[in-house]
Amino acid sequence: MAIAQTRTSSATSRHAGSSTHGGQAVIGAGTRIRGRVTGDGDVTVHGNVEGEVNLRGELFIAEGGRVVSDVNAESLRIAGALQGDVTATGDVAILAGAKVSGNVRGASVTLDDGAEMDGRLDADFVLPRELLGGIGAHDEDGPTAHR
Amino acid sequence: MASTVIGAGITIEGEISADEEIVVQGTVRGKLDAREGVIVEAGGTVEADITSGPLTVAGNVTGNISSSDRVDLQSGARVIGNVKATRITIADGAQFKGNVDMDV
Amino acid sequence: MALLTVIGRGVRVRGRVTGDADLTIEGHVEGEVDVTGEVTVETGGLLGASVSARVIVVRGAVRGDLTAGEAVRLEDGARVVGDLRAPRISIAKGALVRGLVQTGGIETTLPRAKTAAKSTPAVAPRRAPTPAPVARPAAVAPPRPAAPAAPPRPAPMPVPRPVAARPVPVAVSHAAPKGPPPPVVPALKKGAKAALKKKAT
Repeated sequence: MAIAQTRTSSATSRHAGSSTHGGQAVIGAGTRIRGRVTGDGDVTVHGNVEGEVNLRGELFIAEGGRVVSDVNAESLRIAGALQGDVTATGDVAILAGAKVSGNVRGASVTLDDGAEMDGRLDADFVLPRELLGGIGAHDEDGPTAHR
Repeated sequence: MASTVIGAGITIEGEISADEEIVVQGTVRGKLDAREGVIVEAGGTVEADITSGPLTVAGNVTGNISSSDRVDLQSGARVIGNVKATRITIADGAQFKGNVDMDV
Repeated sequence: MALLTVIGRGVRVRGRVTGDADLTIEGHVEGEVDVTGEVTVETGGLLGASVSARVIVVRGAVRGDLTAGEAVRLEDGARVVGDLRAPRISIAKGALVRGLVQTGGIETTLPRAKTAAKSTPAVAPRRAPTPAPVARPAAVAPPRPAAPAAPPRPAPMPVPRPVAARPVPVAVSHAAPKGPPPPVVPALKKGAKAALKKKAT
């Protein structure tokens, strides 16, 4: 896992991360990253990440952690703050206490009671045919017979 | 043993069609079609044409009734509308205004 | 105490369902649902309607917006296409959603306020005789005495919550932070008008 990492909250580091294979990364509470985080492992964020996150693993944003970035990962667990769009191939778990602002896509997305969320969820499924093209409220997708 | 109960606090405006018995304790306006039967309890109000199996009324019905079976208006019932049924009883104390057609 | 209405599996309702009560849907409801209590769409239940209630629990399929004064709970098996708005929202594993999800600050958007605004003049007078709806405004405290007369949405959607303190995001594409979220769904859904017309017996 390669990340641009700095120890102080005021300094920023611009250079992009490059991939590594496997492994884990923990971004401590006192750490702030501005740049790209990429890799083949899991990342736990207690501090601040701003930029881009692309992981072949899980992103865990711990309570107090903050990520301002679009995130592409296998899975996510969010107990802290996330601002950005999420695309996961696996599960996204938004835990109580989390604050998520952005659109989330994943194989499954769960939202715990107590989590704050403002954004779209886009799961892949089709409603039972009785509800398609009916007098329902939303026409945003699905083959609507009329209208 | 109805599975559908429209409780006292509810108003449904529109069309209801059912293949099970319906008990109305609240208010229904529009159209009611329940071949297994309808029970309008005291306090229930139906402002709609009713097409049903057996119909029992203890509440208010304003609308035409077409039953494939019997219609029973109980004491306290208030029905305004024409009734088509195979059998009908109007209990003492029931109020009724309309025609009755028993297909004689 | 809220009374329970159960719309059974073999029942289809097309129109508006309103009242000071709880509602359990096992059958098929199309149109609009606006109650002060708890709405439950059971497994196998079908709801093609926007819902306004205190608590909304979904185990079946819904095509419509769900707005609750207290909480929205999607349980395993739920399939929802529509927006969710409530102070507390939970989505369990096995529940699938396509739409906006907004927690927080819905306190001002109470069911009756929406109903009042939704009620076209045609419907309002007819409500007078029925006890239940009349009781409603008194039943739940807060907001708008003026609501019944006011056509526009009484309670605008809340401004985004703490998350709104955004520094300039690097690659955030969603529209939400641009301003107050879009208004709640309009008064009458297309089908509801037809349903109201049909009702005229």
